[in-house]
Amino acid sequence: MVLQKSMMDFLSEEGFEVFGALDGEAGLQLAKKEKPDLILLDIVLPIKDGFEVLTELKQSDDLKNIPVILLTNLDSMENVQRAFEFGVSTYLVKANYKLEDISKKVQEALKM
Amino acid sequence: MKIKIINDFDLKRQARELGVSIWQTPSFLFIILGVVIVLAMAATYYISKSYDSPEVLAVIECIVAAFFLFIGSFIIHEFEEIAKLNKAKSEFVFVASHQLRTPLSGISWQIELLLSKYNAGLSDKQKEGLEMIATLNARMARLVNDLLEVARIDRQNLFLKEEKLDLAEIISQVVQTNLPAIAEKNIRIIFEKKKRKFVVLGDAEKLKLAIENLIGNAVKYSLERGKIEITLTKKGSVYVFGVKDNGIGIPVYQQRQVFSKFFRSDVAMKHQAEGTGLGLFIAKNVIEQSGGKIWFQSKDGVGTIFNFSIPIST
Repeated sequence: MVLQKSMMDFLSEEGFEVFGALDGEAGLQLAKKEKPDLILLDIVLPIKDGFEVLTELKQSDDLKNIPVILLTNLDSMENVQRAFEFGVSTYLVKANYKLEDISKKVQEALKM
Repeated sequence: MKIKIINDFDLKRQARELGVSIWQTPSFLFIILGVVIVLAMAATYYISKSYDSPEVLAVIECIVAAFFLFIGSFIIHEFEEIAKLNKAKSEFVFVASHQLRTPLSGISWQIELLLSKYNAGLSDKQKEGLEMIATLNARMARLVNDLLEVARIDRQNLFLKEEKLDLAEIISQVVQTNLPAIAEKNIRIIFEKKKRKFVVLGDAEKLKLAIENLIGNAVKYSLERGKIEITLTKKGSVYVFGVKDNGIGIPVYQQRQVFSKFFRSDVAMKHQAEGTGLGLFIAKNVIEQSGGKIWFQSKDGVGTIFNFSIPIST
């Protein structure tokens, strides 16, 4: 996925250790294995979508406290409300953000 | 007589707005219903005068009832069709926007990478070229955002947050962003930022968008070495924002359409080809939904003043 590669390249160059998965299920497995400090999650994903992933993350004691930034191109009020109900810290519409701004948001979320 | 009825109920406008023929507009069908009712009452009166028989009356009433049901079902069917069409139209915009945003993000980020982390060995000309692609791409992204806002407004789905914000601060930010364009045209911009805050209750992001549109327009339609004056004052229970330019102005015969969707005046199109015609439509909706009013004065070849008011937050 082109977007994921651009983001991973940029964040690596900024000094972060980055892992990526291309579907919800693979993402969950990756999170369980690597126990990341932050998760960047899209909504539209194959196998399990963003909200299904969020549900499972919140159900796991290991993973429920990892901060999540939702990065998506969907832009509806219902999605934003739903995301905040899950305790997602930030909801960003990809098309409206530069990579350096996303990187800043990542740094902010990691400080919290 | 037919023309007067069409004007009174503005059937032509309704037909245009709904995308159906005049004979299919709900207003026209109501007219038919009205006419049928009147004819039915008249017929009942005259026939009951001539025939003193309840059976005849009963038959007439059945026929009239049948007519009502017939026309009623037409009206309901038309409403259904119009509603379905509307839903399909905005669903299309939402889906298309999402699909369009993926490649737009991709292009934007790749260029950002090329201009920042991977810019080793890039000549100045190459950087310039990449920056131009980035600008055009950003323009597309803004258009998609505008279209989405318009779809939300159409669906009356414009969600406005309620937060305390400082109008003066937002205006300053917008002026800052516009400084390159202002410098390019040697425009003199006057905005006296007072020390006090101008606090209102509203959606900071959407109000900023509205102000962007107004100030952006003033800059766009100003001439070289023009002058733009921005004012923010208190008038009773509202704050009034004003942006005055001495640019190309809006011709009188087009001033009625200024806030319509996709409208761009003839002089605007001649002066500058770029522009979606959605900015003022969105600005008007945001301001009005925030409890304010928006208005303007303009003279072709002289300049324009745009104002809006927002209730003060107590």
